[in-house]
Amino acid sequence: MDKLTFAEIDNTVVNTLEPPARMYWTIVALLFAGVLVGAACWAYQIAVGIGAGGQNNPVNWGTYLINFVFWVGIAHSGTLISAILYLLRAGWRNPIARAAETMTVFAVLTAGLFPFIHLGRVWMVYYMLPVPNQRTLWPNFQSPLMFDVVAISTYLTVSVLFWYTGLVPDLAIVRDRASGVRKKIFRVLSLGWTGKYEQWRHYSRAYLLFAALATPLVISVHSVVSWDFALGVVPGWHTTIFAPYFVAGAIHSGLAMVLTLMIPLRRIFHYERIITDTVLERVAQTIVFTGLIVGFAYATEQFIAWYSQNSVEMETFRFRAFGTYALEFWIMVICNSLVPLLFFFKRFRTSIFWLFGISILINIGMWYERFVIIIGSVAHDFLPHAWGYYRPTWVEYGIMIGSFCLFFFLFFLFVKHLPSVSMTEMKEKIHEEGAHAG
Amino acid sequence: MRDNQTGVTAFFKEDQKAAEAVRQVRDSGWTLADVYGPIPSEAISAALSLKKSPVGWFTLAGGILGFFSGYLLAMFTAGRWDLIVSGKPVLAVIPFFIVGFEFTVLFSVFGNVVGMILSMRLPAYRDLPGYKTPGSGEDFTVVVACGESEQSDVQAFFSERGARIAQDQ
Repeated sequence: MDKLTFAEIDNTVVNTLEPPARMYWTIVALLFAGVLVGAACWAYQIAVGIGAGGQNNPVNWGTYLINFVFWVGIAHSGTLISAILYLLRAGWRNPIARAAETMTVFAVLTAGLFPFIHLGRVWMVYYMLPVPNQRTLWPNFQSPLMFDVVAISTYLTVSVLFWYTGLVPDLAIVRDRASGVRKKIFRVLSLGWTGKYEQWRHYSRAYLLFAALATPLVISVHSVVSWDFALGVVPGWHTTIFAPYFVAGAIHSGLAMVLTLMIPLRRIFHYERIITDTVLERVAQTIVFTGLIVGFAYATEQFIAWYSQNSVEMETFRFRAFGTYALEFWIMVICNSLVPLLFFFKRFRTSIFWLFGISILINIGMWYERFVIIIGSVAHDFLPHAWGYYRPTWVEYGIMIGSFCLFFFLFFLFVKHLPSVSMTEMKEKIHEEGAHAG
Repeated sequence: MRDNQTGVTAFFKEDQKAAEAVRQVRDSGWTLADVYGPIPSEAISAALSLKKSPVGWFTLAGGILGFFSGYLLAMFTAGRWDLIVSGKPVLAVIPFFIVGFEFTVLFSVFGNVVGMILSMRLPAYRDLPGYKTPGSGEDFTVVVACGESEQSDVQAFFSERGARIAQDQ
């Protein structure tokens, strides 16, 4: 196969920004309708109260928290790919880094909605901001929920700035090829970037520092999310394994979502020479690694519950595996830790059909993981007379559908209006390969 | 008679060749106006004798400011109400480290962005002389300022080294 050239990369990516077909706008309109469904359900909940959802004693954290943790998790592998693998100089990340970073930004945006939704009286959100309210009360930064506010808003801000910084050289390429109003828009967006080496000197340094800062941030953010649970004295939650367990799970789910997004993207935009089979295979191999960590965490939780001989812990984990939510538990175990093992076999990790199918199953499994952790523990904690069950209502389903539609709606808009592959990083990759080839 | 100033823009496909040309131009006495490229290049940076960027100092300053801002914010808000919550001391040093850490990262990134923008002098929307858009994404571009009488010599110099010369010159 011929080697990619700089010109071919530019042409392939810039061609994706051509005016879209009617089918594209039809899909965008359908997704927007889904967003409106979610917005209508939320409006209904605001009007009638938080009781419109299924959360009630003892399960006061339902799908809103499940979806919050799910979307924060999805965000994490974007930063893994854009920052951690950048520091490790893993060349295979370059073709998918932009789309993964974008996934991060939109996933955090979507996740960030759920604490607002879960508040019920959403106008009370200012209680979480570091300003005194009308009774001169300040937020209490000893609470893990306040850690979460700080961590998620930092993560969103850093992700957006990192994403935009990476976009600047590519926006300049689009500007140089555009005309009319489009040229004016991209001229403003690209900030006057010319690619002068004086600019590259500062840009490269700043980008490296961005990656170095994003790496501990991403680990801290999902650790903080896990402490929302682990700092509560609830069986199944109050454990030191939660931070690494959540971080590994987050990357596991995010990598699966990367495959779910990349496979159609490369097909629709003819990115086969950029997002090659090898790139997808590398993602699959990383999924095997994260899947093993997640499987190990599931086994450790069960083992520690037995090893502690604490009757409440033992009952909680028995209930998870064989109680009311046993089906959800086994979906979680099979989809997250057993199905990914198929990627040990080259046949599965080189087949687009299996890559896509398994990625969907992991997404489902990871959603259920959050269901099992959140619902399974509070539904069945210390006192048998306080046990209860939880079932989401149509309002929660509507909001959940709305959140998925919002994520894909934003992603669909992105891929046709901004470069979905980092042209600059692709060029760096083939330049390095050329240099190594001598 | 005074020689009018003009410029020659040469496009290279390889950064090594562009870097070599840059070195020779600097030795020749012609004025090297600018060098552009689609990707960062160690060879060209070395040929231009570029120093390490000072952006890191902005990042460090932001980080220090952020750490103390986060920590002090948490201590200040706790100090407004001397309530013991969950048995933790009012000024709980360990939990506040989390707030301090997140603010460190946040302000470091702000410092990083401010440092980058100021160092690169962006946004810059004026049209830059010598900046030829067709090569922006593909070629390593070297711009030399010279007198009109030297233009053909400079063009020949670049052509001999495998460069393509901008058509309007």
